[in-house]
Amino acid sequence: MQTNPHIASQLYTNAQNIAKPDGPQSSGSSLFAEMANDFMATMKAGETTAIAGMTGKADAQTVVEALVASEMAIQTAVSVRDRVVEAYQEILRMPV
Amino acid sequence: MSDLSNSRMISASGMAAQAARLRLVSENIANADTPGFRAKSVSFQAVSDFMADAGSVRTGRVELSTAELPQIYDPGHPLADENGYYEGANVDLMVQIADAREAQRSYEANLKMFDQARQMKSSILELLKR
Repeated sequence: MQTNPHIASQLYTNAQNIAKPDGPQSSGSSLFAEMANDFMATMKAGETTAIAGMTGKADAQTVVEALVASEMAIQTAVSVRDRVVEAYQEILRMPV
Repeated sequence: MSDLSNSRMISASGMAAQAARLRLVSENIANADTPGFRAKSVSFQAVSDFMADAGSVRTGRVELSTAELPQIYDPGHPLADENGYYEGANVDLMVQIADAREAQRSYEANLKMFDQARQMKSSILELLKR
């Protein structure tokens, strides 16, 4: 039986197309980037308000509000980071 | 925005509203002896659901008391008329003190809610750390 190289290459191209991941590359990572940006924005706002409070431009309530918001953001980020690192270490400990 | 951070934002708006109320009480008490001064008060309004900060409170317009100004007899006063009377301020100190105390209690209540929302968020994150 004789194989047709043309058909083979066509099949190969089809297989390549099927195996190719479709849609935007890993929506998970962009979600993480969004979270990180959100976190950075909260931290920046907290810092700006703290400085404004020290120079007398913002009242105590605004400062407390912003600091609590950044405290919550840090706690969330640290907890998630710890979880991710833990999961990574778990993979490293896996016997191959 | 999660419900807990919304709760913190709403409590903070309540605290700001009570602070504005206390400021007006201070103005009233400071001007309790100013001739012709009318006591100020402010109404609170709920923010409608279409706004970004839905559910929070904001202060409305400042209103002047329409109570009659007391006629004070003091012929030596520069503002006194020919009969020796001048118009004083219609600030009732008892009412102002009660208003200030109520503002303080409401502020504390809002602060408690703020702290409670913070603690709830903290405790849920504590669960994630285990």
